[in-house]
Amino acid sequence: MFITDIRKEFYDFVVNQRVALLVSSDIDALCACKILQALFHCDQVQYTLVPVTGWQDLGTAFLEHKEQFRYFVLINCGANVDLLETLQPEEDSIFFICDTHRPVDVVNVYNDTQVKLMIKQDDDLGVPSYDDIFRDEEEEGGDDSGNESDGGSEPSGKRRRYDEGEVERRIERQRATREWEARRREILFDYEQYEYHGTSAAMVIFELAWVLTKDTKDMLWWAIIGLTDQWVHDKITHMKYVTDIATLQRHVSRHNHRNEDEDNSLSIDCMRISFEYDLRLALYQHWSLFESICNSSYTSCNFKLWSMHGQKKLQEFLADMGLPLKQVKQKFNSMDMSVKENLREVIEESSNKYGMKDIRIQTFGVHFGFKNRFLASDVVHAAAALLESTEKDESPGDNFIKALDCLSRSNLERLHGGIDLAKKKLMAIQQTVASCICTNLILSQGPFLYCYLLEGTPDVKLFSKPMALTLLCKYLLKAFVRSTRNKRCKLLPLIIAAPMDVEKRTVIVLGIPPESETSDKKNFFGRAFEKAAESTSSRTLHDHFDTSIIELKMEDRTKFLDALITLLS
Amino acid sequence: MSAGNENGVRLDKFKNKGKDANELRRRRVEVNVELRKAKKDDQIFKRRNVTTLVDEATSPLQEKSQNCQVTLVWRGNNNLDAQLNATQAARKLLSRERHPPIDHIISAGLIPKLVAFLGLESPPIQFEAAWALTNIASGTSDQTSAVVEGGAIPAFIRLVISPHPHISEQAVWALGNIAGDGSVYRDQVIKHGAVAPLLSLLAVPELSLFTSGYLRNITWTLSNLCRNKNPSPPLAAVQQILPTLLRLLHHDDKEVLADTCWALSYLTDGPNDRIEVVVQTGLISRLVQLLGSGEVFVVTPSLRAIGNMVTGTDEQTQAVLNAGALSMFPGLLRHHKSNLQKEAFWTLSNITAGRDSQIQDVINAGLVPLMVDVLRKGDYKTQKEAVWAITNFTSGGTVEQVVYLVQANVLEPLLNLLSTKDSKTILVILDAITNIFLAGDKIGEADKLCMMIEECGGLDKIEALQSHENELVYKASLNLIEKYFSGEEEEDQCVAPELTTDGYAFHISENQSTFNF
Repeated sequence: MFITDIRKEFYDFVVNQRVALLVSSDIDALCACKILQALFHCDQVQYTLVPVTGWQDLGTAFLEHKEQFRYFVLINCGANVDLLETLQPEEDSIFFICDTHRPVDVVNVYNDTQVKLMIKQDDDLGVPSYDDIFRDEEEEGGDDSGNESDGGSEPSGKRRRYDEGEVERRIERQRATREWEARRREILFDYEQYEYHGTSAAMVIFELAWVLTKDTKDMLWWAIIGLTDQWVHDKITHMKYVTDIATLQRHVSRHNHRNEDEDNSLSIDCMRISFEYDLRLALYQHWSLFESICNSSYTSCNFKLWSMHGQKKLQEFLADMGLPLKQVKQKFNSMDMSVKENLREVIEESSNKYGMKDIRIQTFGVHFGFKNRFLASDVVHAAAALLESTEKDESPGDNFIKALDCLSRSNLERLHGGIDLAKKKLMAIQQTVASCICTNLILSQGPFLYCYLLEGTPDVKLFSKPMALTLLCKYLLKAFVRSTRNKRCKLLPLIIAAPMDVEKRTVIVLGIPPESETSDKKNFFGRAFEKAAESTSSRTLHDHFDTSIIELKMEDRTKFLDALITLLS
Repeated sequence: MSAGNENGVRLDKFKNKGKDANELRRRRVEVNVELRKAKKDDQIFKRRNVTTLVDEATSPLQEKSQNCQVTLVWRGNNNLDAQLNATQAARKLLSRERHPPIDHIISAGLIPKLVAFLGLESPPIQFEAAWALTNIASGTSDQTSAVVEGGAIPAFIRLVISPHPHISEQAVWALGNIAGDGSVYRDQVIKHGAVAPLLSLLAVPELSLFTSGYLRNITWTLSNLCRNKNPSPPLAAVQQILPTLLRLLHHDDKEVLADTCWALSYLTDGPNDRIEVVVQTGLISRLVQLLGSGEVFVVTPSLRAIGNMVTGTDEQTQAVLNAGALSMFPGLLRHHKSNLQKEAFWTLSNITAGRDSQIQDVINAGLVPLMVDVLRKGDYKTQKEAVWAITNFTSGGTVEQVVYLVQANVLEPLLNLLSTKDSKTILVILDAITNIFLAGDKIGEADKLCMMIEECGGLDKIEALQSHENELVYKASLNLIEKYFSGEEEEDQCVAPELTTDGYAFHISENQSTFNF
């Protein structure tokens, strides 16, 4: 069931209990987790934090903790499958689910006792009404004839004689039932067809903190990062992003206002959040402007930087801005103050001229003390890079803790470390995009585009991770749409496959919806993958919380793809 | 605990090599109890359903007014048409599918009126009243009682021979409902003389002249007259009905066949003298034919009847075997309906509990491999029956027969089933093992048996059972270990060089390595 009053129906419930906190591996979930942890610290709630990377993990974590815990809080996992069916919990286990995955499974929606969904009702959920998908048992009962026909049971000792009219009515009722079932299938099909994302978990939990009047600037910042994660990883529509930014902006002004009384006392450990209309250049304040332009999807695609022509255009662009090359290639921090002044306006002006009308975007920045300034997207990239770090075989658990740590402002070292890692990751992505485009690795399969990263491709290990692969896939599709002359291909979705586990001979497969300005970001590949795997009995593992990411046996790749082509044509 | 005691008794009997006829009897009763219990649960379920339904039914205003209407018309009017209309209205209320207002009609005092209408000289009213009463009697026991207490039984019996087929059919149906309530009303219906007129209906040269519905209703009612135990139906009535059942058994309508077979299954579900009555009728060969008819709802009751018969004396069992019943078993033991499969194994277990010549018949019919198959992979309930079949086989079979069973690789799957939770089944399996060892002792092959059991991991299982919570299981497993598996280790080593199986060689190396330490 949906919780309407998150404070009464969630927080008051768990505040005197021990809670198991199961957190999915994405940045929004980390942020929600940080906020919740802070609240739990406030109220001295005992909790155990368990990172989970997929359904199997979730199952194991539940089994390990179900003895000691009654209350489970699931962040960014659990909403889109029938949870009780999956976990088979005892009747007294209660699940609080704060998850952006849509559509929410209908059984979760209509279970009133064990599944509590912390999901904002104003999200465009479109849950089918109860009567359309569930029927009370009693109505179906009473057809003894149906039981007898299956044969072999002892005849009843007594039998009632029905009206002739009754027989017709029964037939009529059976017909109605069949129609109802057909309609139910249709409704559920429509409802479950597309996968998409709702309001950021961090924002939902922040709202809880606000309702409890325990919200702090740190919490607000985490909520901002959570939302920004959804934007960076392209999970929500532009419209939704702008709306949610506006909501957060109101909170930001409220907090800034509160501090004004203290006569603007800036101190070394103060924290200021500000709304910015900033550049869409990844990590530029921690890089050189030049490198950021080269490694940001928006600019790189617009210039087509993988081509000579594109490189030339970039030089022209820089010249047009009148920025000395030496300054541009300089570390941003070391650029002349005179250059940095009005930099955003200067870049915007030239960008407009070069067809990049959206070089600026509404976002937030934060100052820690005097020295450290970050944009929300900087933190997202850094945390994501830490979370999926492939350096020195570290365990997912270690990476999770590091990523969580980098969100604390006391841990700026770690954050800087993350930013360095993120730079490497973005460069790897750009290089892969460039090589895929230049060597025509993206093939049109009819109903979709397909790209397979061969084993031995540089940085291929990085792309065995879901978030990195998602980012690559999105950038790749953008780049492809810019580069291809085939109009039909511009409208196709993209499937990318990359080696996942060399020993187990598996690939990770991911599908994304077509690229367009007005895209609703709804993804139909989850269902399609399931069907294709079923019909070919391919050995697949649908373990990721996003149904559009699966693991597949390398040998089954061809038949799986063939089935997918047939299915979608 | 009581189950345990039974087993203790059984064990003694095996040691004395006595036949365990009593045990068989007990088993059958047990099955019946189970069946009856299931039925009773049904009844309770039904009742609960009914009460809630009636509660709901009181709420709609419309219905109430309709009820009142029926009652009002009744009170005020003696006009025939009005009575017909009122009866029809009542009948219609009672024959709708949901929430028939049976209790309302009863509490409105309509039953005496309806019963009186059965005696009127107006066929339409007779018919409507008979229908209405049929439906009231189809309810709970209390509701059936209300109909009986209204004096409906004799009235219906008079209507059985009504010249109007539809009225006769309805009366037959009503009597079926009354008799179906239980032994008491069944015997009342018989005492009021229902059997003769019912049978007279069928005393025609050609059964196929009846409409199928009519014939089915009569058959079903007859089956209800044979149904229920404690007490069983009066012997005289049974003997009266049997010739007709034999005739119906040759009719070609499947539902008629099914109900006839059910009737026979009720009649054979009793003491041996009751079984004898049926066996004497000479219908076994037809029943065996029907076993192979392939229609689940005919096969089920005929198998039940056959299964009941083989719980009788060895001679009765022999009569079933003589009719060639075993030739139908390969299909039944592998039937896709697990319930049928289970019943078939139950039947088989009673056959293997017979003479060794009868066991030989089972072997000759090629059924042993099928038994082993089910032990290996089958529905759990079926496996339990198969275990019984094996144990009975080992207790009554000759040494050669037991050797054949072991050669059919029964040991491994049988021992694997020791991991079940059900201690009764475990005891039955341990019995079988003991019996097999007894046979092994006779031909001096007990050591070989030990080897085989150890190789398939059976020894570990038996050893583990020594810590079983059930005392009898503990004792039985301890007995086996002490008698056949203790002190064997030294023995093993002197015998070792002669044996070359892989499993054994492995064992040796293990021992050596422990010595090194």
